Amino acid sequence: MPMFQPSRKDGGVLGLDGGGDGRILDVESAVKDGVLGGGAVAVYGGGGGGGEKLDLKKMIDELNLCEVPSVFICPISLEPMQDPVTLCTGQTYERSNILKWFSMGHYTCPTTMQELWDDTVTPNTTLHHLTYTWFSQKYVQMKKRSEDAEGRASELLANLKRVKGQARIRTLEELQRVVANHSTARKTVADEGGVALVSSLLGPFTSYAVGSEVVAILVNLSLTSEAKMSLMQPAKVSSVVDVLNEGSIETKINCVRLIEMLMEEKDFRRELVSSHSLLVALMRLVRNKRHPNGHLPGLTLLKSISTLKEVRSLIVSIGAIPQLLELIPVLNPECVELALFILDVLSSVPQGQQALKDCSDTIPTMVKLLMRITECCTDYALSILCSVCNLSPQECSLRAVDVGLAAKLLLVIQSGCSPALKQRAAELLKLCSLNYSDTIFISKCKLTRTIQ
Amino acid sequence: MVFVLCTLIDSMGSLCSRHRRSPADPEENEQTAEIERRIEQETKAEKHIQKLLLLGAGDSGKSTIFKQIKLLFQSGFDEAELKGYTPVIHANVYHTIKILYEGSKELSQSSEDSLKFIVSDENKEIGEKFSEIGGRLNYPRLTKEIAHEIGTLWRDSAIQETYVRGNELQLPDCAHFFMESLQRLSDVEYVPTKEDVLHARVRTTGVVEIQFSPVGENKKSGEVYRLFDVGGQKNERRKWIHLFEGVSAVIFCAAISEYDQTLFEDDNKNRMMETKELFEWILKQPCFEKTSFLLFLNKFDLFEKKVLKVPLNVCGWFKDYQPVSTGKQEIEHAYEFVKKKFEELYFQSTSPDRVDRVFKIYRTTALDQKLVKKTFKLVDETLRRRNLFEAGLL
Repeated sequence: MPMFQPSRKDGGVLGLDGGGDGRILDVESAVKDGVLGGGAVAVYGGGGGGGEKLDLKKMIDELNLCEVPSVFICPISLEPMQDPVTLCTGQTYERSNILKWFSMGHYTCPTTMQELWDDTVTPNTTLHHLTYTWFSQKYVQMKKRSEDAEGRASELLANLKRVKGQARIRTLEELQRVVANHSTARKTVADEGGVALVSSLLGPFTSYAVGSEVVAILVNLSLTSEAKMSLMQPAKVSSVVDVLNEGSIETKINCVRLIEMLMEEKDFRRELVSSHSLLVALMRLVRNKRHPNGHLPGLTLLKSISTLKEVRSLIVSIGAIPQLLELIPVLNPECVELALFILDVLSSVPQGQQALKDCSDTIPTMVKLLMRITECCTDYALSILCSVCNLSPQECSLRAVDVGLAAKLLLVIQSGCSPALKQRAAELLKLCSLNYSDTIFISKCKLTRTIQ
Repeated sequence: MVFVLCTLIDSMGSLCSRHRRSPADPEENEQTAEIERRIEQETKAEKHIQKLLLLGAGDSGKSTIFKQIKLLFQSGFDEAELKGYTPVIHANVYHTIKILYEGSKELSQSSEDSLKFIVSDENKEIGEKFSEIGGRLNYPRLTKEIAHEIGTLWRDSAIQETYVRGNELQLPDCAHFFMESLQRLSDVEYVPTKEDVLHARVRTTGVVEIQFSPVGENKKSGEVYRLFDVGGQKNERRKWIHLFEGVSAVIFCAAISEYDQTLFEDDNKNRMMETKELFEWILKQPCFEKTSFLLFLNKFDLFEKKVLKVPLNVCGWFKDYQPVSTGKQEIEHAYEFVKKKFEELYFQSTSPDRVDRVFKIYRTTALDQKLVKKTFKLVDETLRRRNLFEAGLL
């Protein structure tokens, strides 16, 4: 291990107080005391020195740290150096990077721009040792924290079996934090029957405080088929829906994710989502204008649910259609596409078709969306318009043309959209034109184009 | 109080101005100020009291919940109050045996296997005697001898067979419990236990209320609630329901075990259908537009026992029920079915602008004190969260 004996003169170089007799300072302590920057690193013994038991590359990759001391960073790649070499100018680079620089025909030092008078590259052993030591200590620290997390998770699970009331809530809160921050803890929880234990807390008498933490924990874990099946008991799903209804936005989003996880299961029981309370609660999340971060998860789940035929008329019956239509103007494009998918799927059931026709916002909104966002959106919007116009051709196509449908359809036909889409647009255009004489219709097209 | 204010108005002409009090009546000014202070204080205090209204059809368990709250969060029943229930319990006993005996006579005439409803000759004598006993107020005290006679009649096989058909008669739910405790109830020193009081059946007339505060785990006092119990029978509900506008929550009790029973007031009406209609009616009342609804699906213990023997579809509302399995699983499945029906009913009866009302369903067994306590803790949590939400703090 390299020893460093500071003389009084040099005491200030590393920021050490060189007072008194020379203190023996080794690399480990130098790194430990944070003299290199990057924060003080607590030493847990081991690491560094001669034997490279831990592979540097592996450590760098696993740690994936953002704040690495600048002296360890290669000026070319801005990555930590695993094999630092120094040029005659005194600048240090990653070997492979500087050799590549040379192979491209440059014989200058990239940072100083000086012409090199000597093309040898000298391995910077000192820097390598320091880099290795620093990363080793960080690595050991992380491993310790991980183990700590594993141990803590174990303790918390044991605790959970004993306590009730406020203590139970606090244990769950801490378990959620540990599980969210440490992947090793998640494995511990899964291995020690934690999933079943936590799931067992859901039931008809689960309070909101307990329920919200249980959901927050479960969404962080990967659930086995068995675990998901046991969660599909109606009483448990009911308590999740209750939490979805009453929860904060973050909690609501967790509930949505949990339900999605259950729906992925092959033997998923469809009656579970065929529930008024679930759908109303979900729509409440989707409609919440104060918290737009709930739109995407809510709509994604609603889309999954709408693919189940049995549930479609239920979705319509809770008034989802006018609510979605009202919401579309404030959604981001990704969410608009989801909303349109849902409306399109709902238009395939008679109640949905009727509700779309009855809602006065449908036609203007759909016409506006044609050729506005993505081809997918245009596709869905067109499909909805076709559905509504087919239900009551006279009335609807009149209204649609009045808000500029004809011109939009012409746009679709002239665009680079898929042939099938263009075909449908042409058919709808034909349907609309039946209401007018040729001249009037053409003027409707022209007029609306001018308006645009 | 009123007179003081009137004279003041007369003498001054303005109540609003504190400055222009007549200097000649310092004492009256003092009184007025005191009264105004008290009114202000009480109004403020009132605002913080959460009012809960217990509603539901007759026999749905409202009063039992009421008694449980009294036992859990108030001082419970003292000795005098307990003793006060003795005549009620004795009346329940007489009433029960009378119904059973007359029921057996009816069934022995109308039923196909009429033979099994014929009471033995000695017991017939006893039966006739009890039939003749007058209205409730005239029941004699339950002595050991009378209790013995009632017990003998109860154990007659015909009466036992009649008991099995109890759902066709207006047999109170406490029948079995009291019949099996006759010796205890007839003891000279008898003082009803809490359990006896919970089982005792009395028709609630008028409105009863109690004020309580559920004490939390850390012994800190929580919200203050005032619980109102109104009678459940069909009467001019529409005339007085609007007086309860502004209550924090309606606790609607529905006895899910009575899907095969008929009303006390109307032998042809199924009790579950009555509950359904009542719930619908209440949901649509304008005075409850913003009120939270807490639905207690009550008498789960009776439901559990009944549902495996009597299919749900004897009730018109549940006619599309299909059993899927047996035992505990089937019970859960049946319960979920009933719950879904109520949910459906709630959302169908709720206009879109009211959909943000709090609506939660609880499974209850009003006779089980631990369960009622657990349930009430959840109710408390929900209502407190609702308040925080409305105050914009959530």
